[in-house]
Amino acid sequence: MASIINSISFKNFFNYYGDFEDTRYDFEEGVNIVVADNGAGKSKFFNAFLWLFYDQILDSDDKIKKGIKDVAVKIISDKAKNETAIGDSVETGIQIEYSTGRWKYQITKSFTATRLRENITSFDSWQIIINDIEVNQTDHILPKYKPVYDAEEKNNIIKQLILPNLRQYSFFQGEEVDSIIDFGKKSSIEEAVRTLTDISKYEELVSLTKDFKDKAEKDLNKQTKSNSEHNDRLEKAIKLKEEFEKNLGNEEVKLVEFENLYNESEREKNELEQNFSNAEKRNELDIKIKEKNKKVNEIADEYSSFLESINGRFFDGAFSWISLGFENVESDFQEKIQKFREIHYEKKALKNISENPNKQFHFLPLDSPDSVSLKNMIDREHCFVCDREAKEGSHAHNHFIKLKNRAVDSKNDVEFVKNNLEGFFGGLQINAQPFYNKISSIEDSILKTREREIALNERLTKLKKELKVLKDQRRDILISGSEDEDAQTVINRYKGAIRRMESSSFQIERLKETIRKLKTNIQNTEKEIQSLRSSNIPEGYLLNYQICSDLADATEKGKDRVFNNMVSLLEKYANEHFQNLIKYNELAGGHLKFDKTPSGAIEFNYIDNKGNLVTGAAEGFQRMKKFSVVMAVISANTNKYNYPLLADAPLSAFGSAFTEGFFEATGKVFPQSIILVNDLYDKDDEMKINELGKKIIKGDLVKRVYVNQVTEGVEQVELITTKIKLK
Amino acid sequence: MNSQEFKANLLIKRPRYANSRIPVLEILANKGSRNSEYSQFGPIYELYIYAFMLGLKKNLKLPLPPRDLTTDFLELGKWKRDSSLVDFLLMIVFTRSEELGFDWNDLEDMEDAELNNVISKIITFFEEYANGGLEYLHGLLDKGELENSHYMFIDLYKSMT
Repeated sequence: MASIINSISFKNFFNYYGDFEDTRYDFEEGVNIVVADNGAGKSKFFNAFLWLFYDQILDSDDKIKKGIKDVAVKIISDKAKNETAIGDSVETGIQIEYSTGRWKYQITKSFTATRLRENITSFDSWQIIINDIEVNQTDHILPKYKPVYDAEEKNNIIKQLILPNLRQYSFFQGEEVDSIIDFGKKSSIEEAVRTLTDISKYEELVSLTKDFKDKAEKDLNKQTKSNSEHNDRLEKAIKLKEEFEKNLGNEEVKLVEFENLYNESEREKNELEQNFSNAEKRNELDIKIKEKNKKVNEIADEYSSFLESINGRFFDGAFSWISLGFENVESDFQEKIQKFREIHYEKKALKNISENPNKQFHFLPLDSPDSVSLKNMIDREHCFVCDREAKEGSHAHNHFIKLKNRAVDSKNDVEFVKNNLEGFFGGLQINAQPFYNKISSIEDSILKTREREIALNERLTKLKKELKVLKDQRRDILISGSEDEDAQTVINRYKGAIRRMESSSFQIERLKETIRKLKTNIQNTEKEIQSLRSSNIPEGYLLNYQICSDLADATEKGKDRVFNNMVSLLEKYANEHFQNLIKYNELAGGHLKFDKTPSGAIEFNYIDNKGNLVTGAAEGFQRMKKFSVVMAVISANTNKYNYPLLADAPLSAFGSAFTEGFFEATGKVFPQSIILVNDLYDKDDEMKINELGKKIIKGDLVKRVYVNQVTEGVEQVELITTKIKLK
Repeated sequence: MNSQEFKANLLIKRPRYANSRIPVLEILANKGSRNSEYSQFGPIYELYIYAFMLGLKKNLKLPLPPRDLTTDFLELGKWKRDSSLVDFLLMIVFTRSEELGFDWNDLEDMEDAELNNVISKIITFFEEYANGGLEYLHGLLDKGELENSHYMFIDLYKSMT
């Protein structure tokens, strides 16, 4: 019977603050989903199972699995820690209920922490005592749980939930799928095949029959030699055959060496492939983050200097806010300057007339007529303004001369006031234009300033949000990538591995050709040996040799067939699952193919409709491929798979089209699955899930759905996770 | 005194403010002062001009205390260099010549001493209205009635038109 997890509850476990009954999640057979945004307890939830199975948790700070006791202080809810007085104790734990067949179990793991000092986050401030594992058992008839006392039985009950050797197919964080199904090792598919078939027995048989064959041949040769008519020729042929066989042996050893080299390089390549695609993606994200950061800083700077510049708009002639409300200044000033000028010029005129009566006629604008025209008028003794003759010496002619000398004369003007301030007042009026000309548009300019601020603020908020998304993505990659190596080193190592694969592949081909030739030579020599054999060899020797030889051939072929059949079966199932996984994706149409590599290992490729290899290193796609093999291994198992799937965010890189297929496929393969996911979360939605989430939870396969939430805008010591049950 | 000399004599004057306004200046202008929780002007003259205009709008004219209890700052001619802002301020001042007690045309016939006296009156005009405006701001600040926003100065200014 399948193991079905009925519930999980927490006690002051990370943000899951409160007692077990406050934080209970109920689950059923079928698909169960816990939707949570980053930081809303998704990984913590997964950590509960790590505690259950391995007494460890994954430290989110460095992504390293650590023993419970070593990180106990980190595990206790900060709120609970804060509420515990010095000298008091707080209990932290997890509780899981599961059923299998007629039995139902309740397992509780916990520890008690006693506060010794003020600082709640310091490890020195707490004394930790790990409590005994509590396991209770009931059958569905008994009303109550009964405790299990025997330690071994307790362990067996925990093991039974998901058997340790199957946990790799049943219990993982999304990014771990990559390392669980390690197709880099020749052994990975082989291992899957071994767990599914009795291939090792065939291998024993192959080795046994080969021994028989070798022995039968030796016996036969012994008989042949002692009976042959042309001993010399026969001996020479046998010697030659032995030489060929020795060469063959040597070449085969070399072949194994090159195959190992090939496998080793391939393993490294595949191992790096994840990192390579991660490295590429990391690189890509790093560049994007850097650019986005730069942009955010630019806009943030722009925004803050914009805010700071707002008050500057009072005094900047381009905005002139300071003149707001001083609309009358211009006209008041104009009135005054006009009055001033009237009196000013009156004074001037009076003064000039008294000094030089002729000057009163100087009311023509300066430079009018221009000096060239005046010169012409003087030379030609003709006025071009009124088109009359003006002979030299006439009043009109003298007037021309006076006009022409105007500029020179004005310098000799007598000051008519003590302080001539005409220039001062006129200057003010001209200079101050930017300030009084804009008064009517100031209201509009203030409005525009606000609009600009809002636009900048929105832009900044949007950019910050985008940056956060990129950083979240980057952090997700961090889980599986090796952070110590820089991206370029990974890329170089990857390229090196490919080069070694290529060169060893060439050597392997060459050696195989040599081996093929040697085998042909051996076969032909063998024929010659048979011709040279005398006819009087006891028949039993020949027959014995022939039977053993046939048997060895047959077992070898049989073993290959069983192996190949299982590979085909896995390929068939993997394709079925893969098609289901990608059925909402535009990729649909191609198929997965298991190909033998030069070294005989199995390579796993995605071939499109036209038979082309698709080498997309997209993380989600790679993971989807691998996940279909995980499911294929489960499907190819002749027994029904009896364990739940527990997975933390396996979708993070799948994309929405994969996500839908994933939930359908997983519901068909696993009797129960509990999927922790953030991709369906939507903070702004009433139900807190996005459209895809709503579509998925409508499906019959989906039995329970919870959304986790954390209290927003509170101190860490107040942070708690609460849940909404959607289904 | 010709136009240039007259203007130059005006522009070298350093208006003063009452020492009691120093806290307001420190809070609302950040030149030589700490960061404030309120929106701030840059140099002191910006706040000074703002207060002066506020004083004019609200007709808040407040004489300064005796000279010993006041502080001077930047010369008028150095307020907002390369800008016609000061010209605009002077335009405003000269439209109020009746209040200042002179006639434009009379200025042209005055002796230098008389003219310097007029210049002093103009500076006092700046100082007294600015002082009135600063007192008003001081009051708002003390009562906690200054709305802390980047728009607090313009909002306040607008509310008076």
